[in-house]
Amino acid sequence: MKEITAIIRRDKLPATKKALADLGYPSLTIQSVEGRGKQRGAMCAEMDTEMPDSFCSAVKLHPTPSSYALEHTLTKVALYVPKRMLTVVVPDDVVSRLVKEIVKVNKTGKRGDGRIFVSTIESALRLRTGETGGEAII
Amino acid sequence: MKMIRAFIRPEKEQEVVLALEGAGYPSLTKMAVFGRGKQKGLQIGAVHYDELPKTLIMTVVDDADVNSIITIVQDKARTGFIGDGKIFVSPVDNAYTIRTGQEGL
Repeated sequence: MKEITAIIRRDKLPATKKALADLGYPSLTIQSVEGRGKQRGAMCAEMDTEMPDSFCSAVKLHPTPSSYALEHTLTKVALYVPKRMLTVVVPDDVVSRLVKEIVKVNKTGKRGDGRIFVSTIESALRLRTGETGGEAII
Repeated sequence: MKMIRAFIRPEKEQEVVLALEGAGYPSLTKMAVFGRGKQKGLQIGAVHYDELPKTLIMTVVDDADVNSIITIVQDKARTGFIGDGKIFVSPVDNAYTIRTGQEGL
């Protein structure tokens, strides 16, 4: 069993849910999270759009933009970008298929598309029936 | 690759994040969570708080960076009183960047 944790754009959630359901894995957990990546958050108000050129120059001038932003009390600063975190637990053999599908649906080619993590789950138990292992997640 | 999940005091969050950023680990995901520990919540006079607000900071890093991140979080989030939180480390098999579809951090 593997756990796929995908951190994706908020507006891509319905499409991702539909894509997963079409593949036959409709069960998932959704969490509303905030995060940031290599760009250390977005320093503009348009969080889900492409970064302006001025952002890159600010990064070059100030190695830690968020501390810079805090010091200078920038009004349009966003240290974190709101995202949705999906967690699905699936059998080992479909992991690569699901990852490919999630990448396909969520890919816009711009920064902030998100990340997928795959980790191993040792056991699962369905509370209602007491089934364990693979039967519990189908 | 390891996933580090640190449950810290909400008021220490900014300090921890800035310290991690300064050490070269800017990427993280955070969420507000509620929980309790060994002390079964908090008793203040007649009022019992069963679940206390915490911030969960989640980050995935290479194995070699785990120790330095734990040291930073411990250093910054520690007050010495109960309720400072916990850090959990778990293995991650793979990571993918959605923008490029590439494997790896």
